[in-house]
Amino acid sequence: MFSGVFDHLMLGFTVALSMQNLLYCFLGCFLGTVIGVLPGIGPVATIAMLLPITFNLPPIPALIMLAGIYYGASYGGSTTAILVNLPGESSSVVTCIDGYQMGRQGRAGPALAIAAMGSFFAGCVGTILIALFGPPLAELAFEFGAAEYFSMMVLGLVAAVVLASGSLIKAIGMIIVGLLGGIVGTDVNSGIARYSFGVSELSDGIGFVSVAMGMFGFGEIISNLGQTAETKSIEVSQVHTLMPTIDDIKTAIGPTVRGTLLGTIFGILPGSHTVIASFSSYTLEKKLAKDPSRFGKGAIEGVAGPESANNAAAQTSFIPLLTLGIPTGAVMALMVGAMTIQGIAPGPQVMTQKPDLFWGMIASMWIGNLMLVILNLPLIGMWVQFLKIPYRILFPSILLFIAIGAYSINNSEFDVYLAAFFGFFGYYAAKWGCEAAPMILGFVLGPLMEENLRRAMLISRGDPSVFFTRPISCGQLLVAFALLLMVVLPQFQKKREILAEADD
Amino acid sequence: MFSLLRVAIPLMALVASAAAETYPAKPIRIVVAYTPAGTTDILARAIGQKLTEAWGQPVIIDNRPGANGNIGTEYAAKSTPDGYTLLMTTAAPHGINPGLYRKLGFDAVKDFAGISLVATVPNVLVVNNTLPVKDVRELIAYLRANPGKLNFGSPGYGSTGHMSVELFMAMTGTKMAHIPYKGDAGVLADLMGGQIMLSLSNMPAYTPQIKAGRVRALAVSTAKRSPAAPEIPTMAEAGVPGYVTVAWFGLLAPAKTPRDIINKLSAETARILKMPDVYTRLADLGAEPVGSSAAEFDAHIKSEIVKWAKVIKDANVELQ
Repeated sequence: MFSGVFDHLMLGFTVALSMQNLLYCFLGCFLGTVIGVLPGIGPVATIAMLLPITFNLPPIPALIMLAGIYYGASYGGSTTAILVNLPGESSSVVTCIDGYQMGRQGRAGPALAIAAMGSFFAGCVGTILIALFGPPLAELAFEFGAAEYFSMMVLGLVAAVVLASGSLIKAIGMIIVGLLGGIVGTDVNSGIARYSFGVSELSDGIGFVSVAMGMFGFGEIISNLGQTAETKSIEVSQVHTLMPTIDDIKTAIGPTVRGTLLGTIFGILPGSHTVIASFSSYTLEKKLAKDPSRFGKGAIEGVAGPESANNAAAQTSFIPLLTLGIPTGAVMALMVGAMTIQGIAPGPQVMTQKPDLFWGMIASMWIGNLMLVILNLPLIGMWVQFLKIPYRILFPSILLFIAIGAYSINNSEFDVYLAAFFGFFGYYAAKWGCEAAPMILGFVLGPLMEENLRRAMLISRGDPSVFFTRPISCGQLLVAFALLLMVVLPQFQKKREILAEADD
Repeated sequence: MFSLLRVAIPLMALVASAAAETYPAKPIRIVVAYTPAGTTDILARAIGQKLTEAWGQPVIIDNRPGANGNIGTEYAAKSTPDGYTLLMTTAAPHGINPGLYRKLGFDAVKDFAGISLVATVPNVLVVNNTLPVKDVRELIAYLRANPGKLNFGSPGYGSTGHMSVELFMAMTGTKMAHIPYKGDAGVLADLMGGQIMLSLSNMPAYTPQIKAGRVRALAVSTAKRSPAAPEIPTMAEAGVPGYVTVAWFGLLAPAKTPRDIINKLSAETARILKMPDVYTRLADLGAEPVGSSAAEFDAHIKSEIVKWAKVIKDANVELQ
């Protein structure tokens, strides 16, 4: 089996290393990095805009370039998160928490470097996994029905409670605000619009990107404007180290490996779970940490884990697409479109009928990851300089990019106003000590959770025992319950700390 | 007064024909009420590219997705009727939705003028491989023996996939439970995984899995067999005579767009759809190019609205 894979990889590298394919791979990675850095302008909008251009390209370079844009964006998304607390991509929301704090302590360089290295590691592992176990891994996704997804969301939400570094009550409050906001829109079972108040733009729900950009980017700018001039200049002058220390790297290895593993699993499952992957990784690291109180204050594990997780997920989400022809999210749906335009029907036959395309893409992903790390590491110096831009120039430019990004999602001004609204909301929430991250997770998971709960109940004809009789679902609920116990019971929390110390 | 009219009428005709002669003098925009890379979007881009080549003016595709196509359709209905904003529509906003929604922001007939019916796509009846039926007759027998037991998936409430099964159940006197998804990808994954057992939705999404033997196709919904998969019988051949549903895609303009601009667009669209490369691209999608006249398309829309309203009423589908 492995010698077969070797032959296939040889074929793949022969294809991917041709001058033309290398060029398009680089172009894709470069574009991806750029749009990843620009807040709001995500891979979905970019790939959609570039689709017509791919009409005139041969299929392999076209798909190599589009894939590069996607994983390049998940690479670049962390940059603005760390520098200005603005998630360039939705999957970088968690990176804001500790990455931005590291930046404020003058450690933006190490944060960026760890993010890039973690992403590279995750990308390599993801690629190898696709090559070795792509088809059997894709079959695994069939074990996941509505009940399993629902239980996974429950686990995710419980994890969000654990994620909060401040008050537990406020975190739960923010999750509920997020869940309520996520309910707005057309009910999938009856098609009836809920809480849309007759506004047709609300009938498809509140755009997640507008919320995230508003809460983090907009809100951060407003609160920065409220500070005095001296506090601002201190932050900027503190930028000194560019590269992480040996200790930093040692601390980051564990989270990177675990994040990669988590991301790999979430990537294969349908439904674009890169966000959940990064949130889960953060929670896991916080739980495993000897001193969880460092999280939220610039813990390097909080950058390494989630960034590896989201890049691994970006990589492995190609598995269901390439081996089965099933898109797991919006970007993968666009890839299906791109393949269709090229006259390739995505499906299980692609691997056997077009091995040069299948293995060429896999090889190009590895090459692309290498290009990205080479592209990104030297850029760190430049990005850090970015922090020295005076606020009177930086803030209006960020605002402009948020506005463009929000507009580009649906070509609608409404999303720009939404981002502005959530900006004010985010500002006040921060003042009241309520964190944005749990709300964002509630926002993303709420609708998915409801959809799967109701689907599971429809399929079981209203019998709730399905959640416990199906082993994967039951296991996830048990883990969620255990996590909840840890948070809720203070004695348990203490006992756990003593145990952790005894282990040393 | 009378003499003034005598001058004015030819003058107006002159202005109108001059509009068609100089049309298009600036970029044309085609609104697509669905996300990029879906069938509607790909068709709009294919036509747009050829219009650009023919007339030397860029054609911009403007994706305004959401609410079963209603958001983009409403937007197009309210655009300036000068021939520079067009709409690529589907059987949802201009077939099902008028009968399904109590309140719509547009009138599918009065607010639009048809340009051309661009293409049709069959729906295909597919079942999970473990379901013990080999053809439609066995399926009907199975459904009658197990009423309400089977689950069918659809890409959304009110989609052609949903309504096609409602029509099937109404015509065969059978009953299944509806499990709605957001798009065909979710339906396909759960159909292959056995979470649901049946689907009757737009064929292109299912063709690769049918050819790979991962799901079993029992019938196509069109009156004739599909050239993309001629081995699959029609619903009538398989035992449900009179059953026909078609997913279709067509080009429209806002109602008051000058008639000669519409005719010019209609003739050009029909010409484009006869080009061999366009034909191949559509065939690869599983779509059949049509290229009807403007009047034929207007009549098609009217008949579709009547047909789906009847299905909605007969099947007792809840209005929105």
